[in-house]
Amino acid sequence: MGPHFILLISALIFSIGALGFVIRRNPLIMFMSVELMLNSVNFLLIGYSNELRSIDGQIFALVIMTVAAAEVVVGLAIILTIFRTRHDLDVDHLDVLKG
Amino acid sequence: MFGYAWLILLAPLAGFIFLSWFGERIPRDRVGWIACGTVGAAFLATLTLLLEMSVLEPDQRLNHVITLYTWITSGKFTLNLALLVDPLSVFMFLVVTGVGFVIHVYSIGYMSHDPEYSRFFAYMNLFIFSMCTLVGAADFFFLIVGWALVGLASYLLIGFWRDRTSAVLAARKAFVMNVIGDVGMVIAAFVIFEHFGSLNYVDVFQAAPKLFMANDDVILLITLFLLVGAVAKSAQIPLHTWLPDAMEGPTPVSALIHAATMVTAGVYLVARCHVLYALAPFSMYLIATIGAVTAVFAGSMAMVQYDIKRIIAYSTMSQLGYMFLAVGIGMFSLGMFHLMTHAFFKALLFLGAGSVIHGLNDEQDIRKMGGLGRIMPITHATFLIGALALAGFPLTSGYYSKEAIIMSSWHAEMGNFVFWGIAVFTAGMTAFYIFRLFFYTFMGKSRNAEAHPHESPIVMTGPLMVLALLSLCGGVLGPWVSRFLAPVFGFEIPHFEDGLLETIALLAGIGGIVTAILLYFTGQDRLEFAKQALAPIYDILFHKYYVDELYDFFIVQPVKGIGAFLEERVEKFGIDFAVDQVGVQLREVSFYISLWQSGKVRIYATNMVAGMVVILLFVVFL
Amino acid sequence: MRSGGGDTVFDFSWVDFNLFEVTYDVVVFVVGITAVLAALGVILCSSPIYCALYLIGHMMCLALLFLLYHAEFIAAVQIIVYAGAVMILFLFIIALLGGKKEKQEFSFHKFMALGFVGILSAELMLSARVGKTQPVEGMFTPAKITEVGSAKAVGIELFSRHLVPFELASILLLVAAVGVICLAKFPLKPLRRRAR
Repeated sequence: MGPHFILLISALIFSIGALGFVIRRNPLIMFMSVELMLNSVNFLLIGYSNELRSIDGQIFALVIMTVAAAEVVVGLAIILTIFRTRHDLDVDHLDVLKG
Repeated sequence: MFGYAWLILLAPLAGFIFLSWFGERIPRDRVGWIACGTVGAAFLATLTLLLEMSVLEPDQRLNHVITLYTWITSGKFTLNLALLVDPLSVFMFLVVTGVGFVIHVYSIGYMSHDPEYSRFFAYMNLFIFSMCTLVGAADFFFLIVGWALVGLASYLLIGFWRDRTSAVLAARKAFVMNVIGDVGMVIAAFVIFEHFGSLNYVDVFQAAPKLFMANDDVILLITLFLLVGAVAKSAQIPLHTWLPDAMEGPTPVSALIHAATMVTAGVYLVARCHVLYALAPFSMYLIATIGAVTAVFAGSMAMVQYDIKRIIAYSTMSQLGYMFLAVGIGMFSLGMFHLMTHAFFKALLFLGAGSVIHGLNDEQDIRKMGGLGRIMPITHATFLIGALALAGFPLTSGYYSKEAIIMSSWHAEMGNFVFWGIAVFTAGMTAFYIFRLFFYTFMGKSRNAEAHPHESPIVMTGPLMVLALLSLCGGVLGPWVSRFLAPVFGFEIPHFEDGLLETIALLAGIGGIVTAILLYFTGQDRLEFAKQALAPIYDILFHKYYVDELYDFFIVQPVKGIGAFLEERVEKFGIDFAVDQVGVQLREVSFYISLWQSGKVRIYATNMVAGMVVILLFVVFL
Repeated sequence: MRSGGGDTVFDFSWVDFNLFEVTYDVVVFVVGITAVLAALGVILCSSPIYCALYLIGHMMCLALLFLLYHAEFIAAVQIIVYAGAVMILFLFIIALLGGKKEKQEFSFHKFMALGFVGILSAELMLSARVGKTQPVEGMFTPAKITEVGSAKAVGIELFSRHLVPFELASILLLVAAVGVICLAKFPLKPLRRRAR
């Protein structure tokens, strides 16, 4: 146990989040995956803040939470708007910007 | 001191701007009077200037630079918006605004039936403004500005009747020829700035004698490039072909721009830069030669033409040749004096011709005229006075100026008997062709039954009478001109006493008149005989020495050939191909790149993860 | 592990290992593994509502870990903000849009993504071994945090040294609120027009 455990767990959660973002087609679940990635970073920061007896990590985590909250709110509003106009939630169908 | 001299420029400029904006919306008769009023105001300002100048001591009349404001300052170089007031510029202002005013008044009658009345007067005011800029400039920069602006005004007015193809082509030709001259002027200005560090007349002319010896390379370069501009503007050989074509414009334009004022700018330029030319005897000699050759060359062509305006145009070239001869042999005041008298009688001749054309409903061929003397008495009388003055008949103004030039061309320091011989010969030809024109037009029987000629209204004959008076009596101004301009050039015109030469010149003129009487007034059979006997010469003259054809063969056709080659080969297979291929290949490549942009978020996300993998590879293993 | 101390009733001094530390480590390990498993549940469930519930579980585990790492204030915020507000928002949206099940099929894209993420994960773990930076120790020992209280410690730091980021974060929230209102309110009209 020690810093390596923190890094390990954090890396695992981050990878899981990235995987979810890549393979899922439902935008809600993609957002949840983003939350997972953010949380893994939060976990890393808090763990190291404890390891290094510094409180700056916690401050960072707070700021990240703020960003996450703002992002989730805006993202969900966008999803809502898309759903209202298209009645469809599959991101694979949202390829209007195809080159 | 002479601050109000700006009025001379500003009044016509204001007229131009006003007429261009509001000319269509105000009554027609008011347009003409506004245009005349602005030029008249400029003329009054010039008269005031003249009076104030006259009360000054002769040595205080020079170098009055009136600066309006500093336009550009760059290091040691400053450019002021300034006017130079000295006897030479005042003299030129007088000629430009005076003759310009008379011709403006005449135009009111001449253009009365034209639908684009206000545009015409706007352009005329623009011309007066440009010409005053040219003669009033205090440095070479604004000289070139004015030089180009008069070229523009000339272009606009030659092509005034824009629905005529020939007029538009003539305007283009004049513009291109003048641009050749402009380029020469600009190069000269560069050389001047390079060696003097300034463009002001005052600085340059004061520094020139101290910095350079006579016939120095730099001075030769400057004077020759200035000469290119002068030759182009004054329609001297070899850049003369535009002037006869310029007669496509309205007749007042021909009178004002292509006879009285703009084409004399070359003479003015040489006179203005006389300090430089005095250091370059070679250039002076060249000027005199060009002038003499042009005089005889143009005079001979005028003898066989049938278009009334073209005859007078060739005559203008010939008289400009006299002026170049005069300034070329160092008699600058004499050149200016002939410029003035020529402005009077040539404007008179053109306006008289315009009156005839107006009366005959735009007929310009003299073979279809005749017998107009009784129907148009005022035009007839004034035209006769103008013809006599041009022929150098004793006691008319032309007699004094031309006789003096002929005498000087032998007796002056740089004169010789070749110049004199050419000048005398040309004098005889001048008398011949102008009286040929006169007899064709006003004497004999009418050759055109359909036309119903009528005398022109007073607004046209009035200016004719004023100019006739000036042509008749302008000669008495000679001594005054000489004295007035003496501070500028440093000497008065010497009076050469030589009875023999005077008599010969006089006889040449009268001989020309008598020949014309014999051929065109009394006997038709003699004319036919002369035509047959001199057929080869007649042919060459009638085709204007084939100069246009020579230019066509040696310059226009090769350029066209090169252009065709470039269009066919280089353009199609070189440039077009390259440009097209750039586009085609870019489209191909971008098609394959665009496949990457699938629009699917998950693919993008995968790409991001892949990018992260690559970046972390560097972090971990390097 | 460094423990928060505290008196124990039993005397374990005769044991070769500190029972408290061992217990602490075990708890941390178990909770950490649970968090990872919950995260796996988030991305593997086909129904969004289960995903959200798994995510709540994951958040709870993390909050527990924060508590174990002596960040009581952050743990509280985690529960209130994340597990409370954000997840409630998610559940509302799911309820609103209808939690349709997602068809799962295996595709080349998924295979490739799995490969990439696997490599990424390996690299992240390897990167723990190549730390070139030197850690800087702070002054907030667990004892001190216990003394002043977690919230107070964070507050002191937040309002003295990190005031500007804090204010910027508040502006960010304001902007997000305005943006959401714009998004949610104004595009209603084109929707109606299209519905006809």
